[in-house]
Amino acid sequence: MTFKEKIESDRFILCGEIGPPQSCDGDVIRAKSKHFKGYVDAVNITDNQTAMVRLSSIASAKILLEEGVEPIMQMTCRDRNRLAIQSDLLGAAALGIRNVLCLTGDYQTFGDHPEAKGVFDLDSIQLIATIAKMNRGFLLSDFEMKKAPEFFIGAAANPFAEPFEIRLIRLYNKIKAGAHFIQTQPVFDLEIFTRWMDRVVEMGLHEKTAILAGVMPIRSVKTLIWLKENLSGVKIDDIYINRMQHARDPKEEGVKMSVDIIQTLKNVKGVRGIHLMPVMWESITPTIIKEAKLNMTN
Amino acid sequence: MLKDLATLNKPPITAGERKFSRLMLFFEDIIKVPLFHCQRCGECILSSTAFICSQNCPKRLRNGPCGGTGDDGSCEVYPERKCVWYKIYFRSKRLKRISLLYKINKIHNWNLEGTSTWLNVLRKRIDGPILFVRNDKQRVKEKIANDV
Repeated sequence: MTFKEKIESDRFILCGEIGPPQSCDGDVIRAKSKHFKGYVDAVNITDNQTAMVRLSSIASAKILLEEGVEPIMQMTCRDRNRLAIQSDLLGAAALGIRNVLCLTGDYQTFGDHPEAKGVFDLDSIQLIATIAKMNRGFLLSDFEMKKAPEFFIGAAANPFAEPFEIRLIRLYNKIKAGAHFIQTQPVFDLEIFTRWMDRVVEMGLHEKTAILAGVMPIRSVKTLIWLKENLSGVKIDDIYINRMQHARDPKEEGVKMSVDIIQTLKNVKGVRGIHLMPVMWESITPTIIKEAKLNMTN
Repeated sequence: MLKDLATLNKPPITAGERKFSRLMLFFEDIIKVPLFHCQRCGECILSSTAFICSQNCPKRLRNGPCGGTGDDGSCEVYPERKCVWYKIYFRSKRLKRISLLYKINKIHNWNLEGTSTWLNVLRKRIDGPILFVRNDKQRVKEKIANDV
């Protein structure tokens, strides 16, 4: 069963995430893929995340395919103009990559090459619409291709950034542009997330797309505080900071916390799955899945 | 669905028109630069963004904010500034023009950069401004019910 078929069926979805290395060492991805194989339905491959140069997401996705893990290739608008985006997408389709997650991309000054020119020729909504058009057999120039790609299109949503209302408008526009599934930012504030989800259900958007809620396992209270202070658009409930501060074993507490969040999210109406983001801690994935009693694939 | 996704170069800009466009831009700038901080994209969407120029966004986003807006509405890239789209949302609400945010703006035609928007509207390269919006709330409801 492919990721697309799983989403079209009724089952609960589980995604992982791998960040490629800052070198040409493909074995890093092969090693990380072992933590996900057989546990999740698909694995995101980040595209130069936080504006740092990394092994390309297309090549990494191909490595995952060879390892028997279904990739979700991320594609940002920061590094490519419309020519490069379309040609990279055609290349990815030729290599057998089917799932694409469309993002605007972090601004270049946050990364390791702050002097770079950001492209932003398209934005994420226009990128989704471009891929939808390619699926219908046309390039942006209206050139009709002899063979159309069959991309399964994903998009991101951030329920936690201000203004609350415009995040729903963005979600609506992404679905209208053609997004088949949505992955959210990591949830550390269940109150806001459920309020957002209530509105999504009220608007009927959860029936038009599959919403996968983000969960990020955390190893130490330092990371959590860093996230709260440095990442705008991420909200963290003080309950979790307290829990981590008073924990005897922060790693164990981090796992418990993720399991708690997953179990609450499972019962929120409209949530179709979980997107697990164990950044730099991929090895914990099997433990969390076992403890959260999520059905393993295959 | 989205039929025309990008603003095309039709009709193409001739050398003569480009000259005339620069003359028009002189008058356009007198109004738009002091009032809106116009960035001269040549493809004005001011009327859909509650008369705040979206092109002042560092990423030049034309379809709503990125995920980096702070709790106080600050921009992620320049924290001393307010996010352009944060301002657009609240003014749209005040002017009852929220329904215009439920529209996907086209992919920018970079050939129009530095040309006169008014001339481009006359030449039918881009859509004209939307001056009045009636029954904003009703329109939003209809859009959610019918479009997706």
